[in-house]
Amino acid sequence: MSLRNLVLVRLGVAVNLVIGQIVAALVLPVYLDAVGTILVAALAGPRAAVAAGLVSQVLAAVLSGNFSWLPFALVQIVIALYASLAARLGLFRRMATALPAGLLLGALAGGTAAPIAYFVFGGATAGGVTAVTTVLRALGAPLKVAVFTSSLSTDLLDKTIAFALVCLILRSLPTHLAARFPALAR
Amino acid sequence: MIGYRDGDSVLHRAHPYTPLAIATALLLAVFALTSPASVGVAVALAVVLALAGRALGYVARPALIIGVTTWVLLLILHGLLDPGPRIALGPLSFSAEGLARAAVLGGRITAILFAFLTVLAVVSPARLVEAMTDRGVPFGRMYLVVSTLTLVPRLRERASRILEAQQCRGLALGGSPVARVAALGPLVLPLVLGALAEVDEQVLALDSRGADSGLVRTALDPPADSAGGRILRWACALLVLAAYAAKFAGHAL
Repeated sequence: MSLRNLVLVRLGVAVNLVIGQIVAALVLPVYLDAVGTILVAALAGPRAAVAAGLVSQVLAAVLSGNFSWLPFALVQIVIALYASLAARLGLFRRMATALPAGLLLGALAGGTAAPIAYFVFGGATAGGVTAVTTVLRALGAPLKVAVFTSSLSTDLLDKTIAFALVCLILRSLPTHLAARFPALAR
Repeated sequence: MIGYRDGDSVLHRAHPYTPLAIATALLLAVFALTSPASVGVAVALAVVLALAGRALGYVARPALIIGVTTWVLLLILHGLLDPGPRIALGPLSFSAEGLARAAVLGGRITAILFAFLTVLAVVSPARLVEAMTDRGVPFGRMYLVVSTLTLVPRLRERASRILEAQQCRGLALGGSPVARVAALGPLVLPLVLGALAEVDEQVLALDSRGADSGLVRTALDPPADSAGGRILRWACALLVLAAYAAKFAGHAL
């Protein structure tokens, strides 16, 4: 990996870990903890994005102490690969293409996270997702359906907003900065 | 409080890879265990690891704070809401099968928490970097982990300043969900664009230190490794393999 990509990965990881602070200030029901990974995918390609996703997951565990979330690293890999493909197809150039692409990523990420949440955590992850799971379960939905529905509903919104944000960031990049990222021009 | 704490325990003195190998083996092995009793043994082993690092008191608090939420949720989702034969515990009626499942899932998470929080408490980051340098781990990997940990507090501080500055300019953090989503732009853009503008400067700094020279770095003070430590790490790997071999051979553990 080139030095530029190395520095970018570091930045992407830091964005993943810090953006929660802004989300918490706005009291939004999302995590946005993959914005850095998606940004790195658009600027530096899949290899750097996968590295950003994996390091984010490990450092999030180190900083929070909650190492039980390490299996969700698989979701970060899916996000990194999908976002790289989306960037290659030019889907970040316009909001009209970024939003549906983000929605589709939400479905993919939710579909990846749900089996982990079900088999590893028995549906009891944390926060709003589990609240939705519990309500659905109390309403009589089977656990598998409750976990999948809650995981999907959160991820659809989360990844759509994340893609919109990255589209906004890329469009706001000054020309002299954008010129330094060859992957952006493709 | 989570993180390294000075000490002179057997785990503090061990090669940093040894406590890491034990915790990783526990993390992998617990998913091969399916009965509450065997998961209970894994939890006991994780507690013994914390005791060996003289870090039980230090580790127990965050492990319980993080773990108790999961336990409560598991007891509700599986114990209370699962169908099947019931067990009365006080005023509540739990599903017997659901309780066993909650014990397995909660026990796995508790074991992982105790094991890795112990690693954080007994492995000095500086010694770990020395150990990794000594083993020829590429500079890039170490840089990503160690340097990002120093960048995060700086970026957090910058995010706080941006939040305050934008509020001074009239940005409302409350309001409808749509208004709050719209407020993300003015908060996230300056944070990310500012950090991207510094990329070149950091690349130059790394380049001047010969970060991509490809040469193998020499560790100044590599931690000593022992035959016992190496045997223990191999034993951990073999135990994980044995646990999965038993699982796939149909011997429920």
